[in-house]
Amino acid sequence: MSFDAPTIVQIILGAIALLSAMTVVLVREIMRMAIGLGVFLLSVAGLFLLYGASFLATSEVFVYVGGVLVLMLFAIMLVQRSDSGRAVLVSRHDIGSASVALGLFVMLTVALQGVSNRFTGSAPESSMQELSEVLMGGRLVQYEIAGLLLLVALVAVIVIAGGDER
Amino acid sequence: MIGVLVSVAVFCIGVYGVLTRRDIVGVLASIEVMLAGSMLALVAMASGADSVTGVRPLGQSIEAVVLLLMVIDAAEAAVGLALLVSVARRRGVTRIDELQEVKG
Repeated sequence: MSFDAPTIVQIILGAIALLSAMTVVLVREIMRMAIGLGVFLLSVAGLFLLYGASFLATSEVFVYVGGVLVLMLFAIMLVQRSDSGRAVLVSRHDIGSASVALGLFVMLTVALQGVSNRFTGSAPESSMQELSEVLMGGRLVQYEIAGLLLLVALVAVIVIAGGDER
Repeated sequence: MIGVLVSVAVFCIGVYGVLTRRDIVGVLASIEVMLAGSMLALVAMASGADSVTGVRPLGQSIEAVVLLLMVIDAAEAAVGLALLVSVARRRGVTRIDELQEVKG
């Protein structure tokens, strides 16, 4: 493996992603967890950019950092009690969960050995035109169903979270 | 192979978080981590260019699939956070081990 510039960037971004994911999972303060999630999503967007999926990187920043993370911060601020700053993380299932995650990691790594990732460091940029042709051509049905799903989720959120005076 | 390894590791970290965290926001954030890992795996596997033609064989199709995954993930996060707000308002509870009425 040659350590050229894209490989080094890949390793750095991957290390940031791993560390911030561990922050999300392990840290106790909820606000710090949210900050860690933001760093994690930004590093994933950087990896998308490195792999040539620039439109996905942009949508990742818009949808996740600008949408889901802000929504999560609002939810935290709405429900935060004065004593819930430090979440109790001591779980009886700590060792079992760690072994499940570790076993899954080994299993997936072994299963994905055959996958040849031919990333050469210079992934060709994807073009918006081809992506829109795919979305509006062969995957039109999925696209419309996704729009319908968003509408259903919107109505469900209004029903669930709003109007609880009954 | 680095990208695939990172995505597998991120997914497993998310699994650990879903299994161990006790607060609902933490579980939702761990699910976000898991989904980001799976999306990263798809993009990393499709990122290689064909050595002969120089084009990405699966690129556009995978990008469309990941875009639809993002839509599903955003809907899931919205509904989950709405459930969290609703439960916290009516019961004053934000931890999943305090919600045991339907435990079998």
